[in-house]
Amino acid sequence: MGFGDVLFGRKRLKGAKLDKLFALSTAQITLETELGLKPSGAAGIVFKPLSAGEFVRAEQQIDELLGVVAQTSGSEVRRRQDSLGYQWLVVRDRDFEDLVTGVHVVASELAAHGFGEQLLAALFAFEGRDREGPTYLIYGFKRGAFWPFVPTGEGQERNNAEELRLRNELQGELPIEPDLTRWLGLFDAPLD
Amino acid sequence: MKRKAFGRDFGLSSRMFLTMFLLGALYVVFFVVLVWYLQVGIALVVPLLAVFAFVQYYTSDKIALRASGAKVVTPDEAPELHAMVDRLCAMSDLPKPRVAIIPTDVPNAFATGRSPKHSAVAVTQGLWDRLEPREVEGVLAHELSHIGNRDVAVMTIAGFFAMLAAFLVRMGMFTSMMGGGRNRDSGGAPALLIIIAVSLITYVLSYVLILMISRYREYTADRGAALITGAPEYLMSALQKIASDMTRIPQRDLRELERMNAFFIIPTSVKRSAGELFMTHPPLEKRLARLADIAAEMGRPISA
Repeated sequence: MGFGDVLFGRKRLKGAKLDKLFALSTAQITLETELGLKPSGAAGIVFKPLSAGEFVRAEQQIDELLGVVAQTSGSEVRRRQDSLGYQWLVVRDRDFEDLVTGVHVVASELAAHGFGEQLLAALFAFEGRDREGPTYLIYGFKRGAFWPFVPTGEGQERNNAEELRLRNELQGELPIEPDLTRWLGLFDAPLD
Repeated sequence: MKRKAFGRDFGLSSRMFLTMFLLGALYVVFFVVLVWYLQVGIALVVPLLAVFAFVQYYTSDKIALRASGAKVVTPDEAPELHAMVDRLCAMSDLPKPRVAIIPTDVPNAFATGRSPKHSAVAVTQGLWDRLEPREVEGVLAHELSHIGNRDVAVMTIAGFFAMLAAFLVRMGMFTSMMGGGRNRDSGGAPALLIIIAVSLITYVLSYVLILMISRYREYTADRGAALITGAPEYLMSALQKIASDMTRIPQRDLRELERMNAFFIIPTSVKRSAGELFMTHPPLEKRLARLADIAAEMGRPISA
């Protein structure tokens, strides 16, 4: 926010940055061969629904859109809600590149309908070779950057050592969020 | 399909500008009079108070947390609260503030800190227990808007010269009671009276203007909360619940919290007779009406 915004109390939400999302497709080889992270075939887009009429109308369009995405890319898209009142659009695709494309299409359609500001993050699930439990890469739409997220499965605990290791490994491949305090965790993601 | 920018309220912005302009103008007049009559003395007082104000500003988060008896909680101690704050911060692109819980049954919340990086948000146990999660979320979004708008900094700057004026009134009274013997020439006595009078007027007028700004900042934070959560109706019901609980709770509890009023989402002493001019927060009905307007702008009519 600029000085004028602070002075006059104007408030704006940041729009969604979508362009860095595709970096994930190119990083796939590193992820699989060097880090032993196999895509689990699921990704989720989490956003804050507006309780406004315009949004309710747009939701019908979103549902139609999901049908179109499913037909053209062969991805499966479902709508979910989590315990914190956020909406999820869960995309499933065996092919990782199609999965990333599917997420991009859904997110840019939401943005095209004027709801880019409501987009929070996209979550990509991976299965580790040497570790139990899922590993996630999260793309923050406000930040236009990725960060790793490794829940230990016990409450809201995160495996920070593993997350930092992944950051160091991926630094050259992906735009990584430099500010560690912005590494939002998304526990209990309804990806299934 | 394009969405309107809900985050702006031209009328509010222009009123806020006018108020700040008046406050600034008042301070300039005050300062000119001071320099005119007190060539040397003022050179000592201003830096002294500036240091005092700076320390207050710099430690605002710690002072407020300690004064309210708030306890900073870790994600393990309050996972749901932390998860809520996490996501709202990501939504409004703010760094995460420290999260604290005040162990009192009065439902309320406040935010403090000189900058988004050095901030804290606190909710009372009563707020967490009595409100629905979506309502708590609305309240948290309101507090995060205060942080994003840097309201502690704005209010500290706005209040600086008021503090100086108040200080001079007291000093002036003190000096005149002691006989005023230290005046350099015969014109000293009326000059002292003029300074006391001007300081007093400055103090009263700036007080009213500062409270006005405070009320405008509340409207702005309400608007910000509507924007962040996308659901103004939950903040509306939260405000109603908080206000109705406030009036029900016995007075003794409330007085412990009274000095924190400017920071709370709803002031603890809701005295009708005080008049709107002397309140840090706008009356509930007006806030609800504004939020209903925002809801209508967003496309969903709500009756306030």
